[in-house]
Amino acid sequence: MAPSTDIAVVGWATTPLVRRTDLSETQLLLRAITSALEPLGLTRSDVDFTCLGSCDYITGQAFSFVGNLDAIGAWPPKRDSHVEMDGAWALYEAWLRLQEGDIEIAVVTGSGRSSTGNPALIYPMEMDPYYLAPIGADPVTFAALQARAVIAAGIADERTMAEVAVRSRGEGDVDELLRGEYVREPLRRHDLPPITDGAAAMVLATGDRARQLVERPAYITGFDHRTECHNPAFRRLDDSPSTRIAAEAAGLGDAPVEVAELQAAFTHEELLLRSVLGLGDDVAVNPSGGALKANPIMASGLCRIGHAADHVFAGGTRALAHSTSGPCLQQNLICILEGRS
Amino acid sequence: MVRFTESTITFPYTRSLGPVVGAFMTALTEKRILGIRNGEQVICPPMEWDPSTGAELPRDLVEVGPAGTVDSWTWVPEPTEQHPLDRPFAFAFVRLDGASTPLLHAVDASSPDAMSDGMRVAPRWKGQRIGHLTDIACFVPGEEPQVDGDDLGPAAEPVQMMDYLARITYRNPVPPSSDLVVDASRQHRLVGFRCPGCGKTYVGGRGVCPIDSVEFGEEHLVELPHTGTITNHVVITPVQYPGQTETEPFARVFVLLDGSDAVLGYQPVIELPVEDVAVGVRVSAVWASPGEESDEGGGMGGAFGSLIGWMPNGEPPVDDPDLVNRIF
Ligand SMILES: [Zn+2]
Repeated sequence: MAPSTDIAVVGWATTPLVRRTDLSETQLLLRAITSALEPLGLTRSDVDFTCLGSCDYITGQAFSFVGNLDAIGAWPPKRDSHVEMDGAWALYEAWLRLQEGDIEIAVVTGSGRSSTGNPALIYPMEMDPYYLAPIGADPVTFAALQARAVIAAGIADERTMAEVAVRSRGEGDVDELLRGEYVREPLRRHDLPPITDGAAAMVLATGDRARQLVERPAYITGFDHRTECHNPAFRRLDDSPSTRIAAEAAGLGDAPVEVAELQAAFTHEELLLRSVLGLGDDVAVNPSGGALKANPIMASGLCRIGHAADHVFAGGTRALAHSTSGPCLQQNLICILEGRS
Repeated sequence: MVRFTESTITFPYTRSLGPVVGAFMTALTEKRILGIRNGEQVICPPMEWDPSTGAELPRDLVEVGPAGTVDSWTWVPEPTEQHPLDRPFAFAFVRLDGASTPLLHAVDASSPDAMSDGMRVAPRWKGQRIGHLTDIACFVPGEEPQVDGDDLGPAAEPVQMMDYLARITYRNPVPPSSDLVVDASRQHRLVGFRCPGCGKTYVGGRGVCPIDSVEFGEEHLVELPHTGTITNHVVITPVQYPGQTETEPFARVFVLLDGSDAVLGYQPVIELPVEDVAVGVRVSAVWASPGEESDEGGGMGGAFGSLIGWMPNGEPPVDDPDLVNRIF
């Protein structure tokens, strides 16, 4: 389902990804967008379409995305859209919009200040309001229940999970980590993502414009996302059919990938996704460190696509990026990026 | 140093339950747990639709439990205020007898060592049940349901609605630009930021030019006059939602400051009856006496610092048809 028009990632940038920032979300976005555009010699007036991904619930302000428009330079009036999703889904919308062929440059962003509230208290409120939110069903509990299913299926064990943590963060000792206390059995602190503030911005361009802007654009050759039932109690947690279907639709099987950037916030999620996607040992998984190293909420998935694009910019041939949303990998997005000689 | 403010937002939701979830909640008040047939399966907690296909299910509700089997579990060593128990407990997928899918709920066990897959559990009911998932206080090991305290019996009427109070505390940075404007207001000064790009002046502490995406600092501060003209207005009839302190219709006006292009939005008026509020009325700033100051940053408009509103200053009104367009 590759579009008839070539659409490519030509650049991206993030703010520093930190535990807590003094900057407002608008300030974060302003800086991320400027950092993404400047190296390409572009200004905000060159941008034909923007799509922002963010979440009012995290910001604690209704219509917070309206304030974020200050960061895009919305005068004269711009074509703009917003998704209450990770920026990876904003990218999907921009990719669709560019296929109309009447515009050339789009900017997408993902932004969030996780430190604003207590994620352990905020996320349960986004769950099923009748059966899950009233008992405070929290994301780490769901992750632990999925980890148990993945372990029972023989896809992971506590040791391979600790190995994922050490490889992703580039620090720690597996034996030492395995002596730690459980946060939610079988998950220990190292199996959990950090809490991160930050924003990412990405620039897309079509056809000849992309080739004028950069030597080696990262062409989006496949893009799909699928969702499953909202309540993990009704799903098989040792599988991710939505990931598998999205990957098939995006053409993962058409040619090998060298790199896979997976939005696995918990260690067992990486092992499950590898298994579902059929990624062999020859594929470099999360060379960036992934969401276990930095997990800027609402931007974490867009960062995966950015790192996959970096692989292509640096001469790589084909890379896969994955993003997810909802408890226990409810909704999954797959984006395939390719370089051309 | 950037200052942070903490605020707690509450969203008191009243949710309609519909025919299936409503029947489930009503049954809870009767100490019964319902599932719904989906072909060969029985889904509990019951849904109106097949979770896999989205097809509407026939309303074939069946009783399950009350005891069940733990399919999987995890231990919660440090419960939060949202959890059903205030001591360490297990969250478990409990497959009630007769059900094909598990219900997530708390199991009150003494320690993780007391938990295992396949263990048998039964509900501990609350004595007072209102038609809410937490009518089941938790599950307990064993086959026998329990009741906490006196059993006050089932609901008198079918349960159709459910209250859910979402409450979140946020800690947000206050942009330095906002503090600069509020501090100036405490000294009975009106200041704004002039954008070096487009030349427009922004008031109310907005720290960014939305046209040029330039961040403002002290170097962009300009002093503004304390007189202006009403360009537009709205009269609000207050609805008594939680937190609304106004009881009578009140006005909010937009004020274009003299000799500048700066417009202050959503300003209160003083000694100007609602029926006299009009485009073109000349007004002056009114400053608070000590102790009357507002802590508001003025982000969404409104008064801030020592500025409490605008009062007619007796000058003849301005007759300019373009004024009404000046709300930014
Ligand atoms: Zn400007």
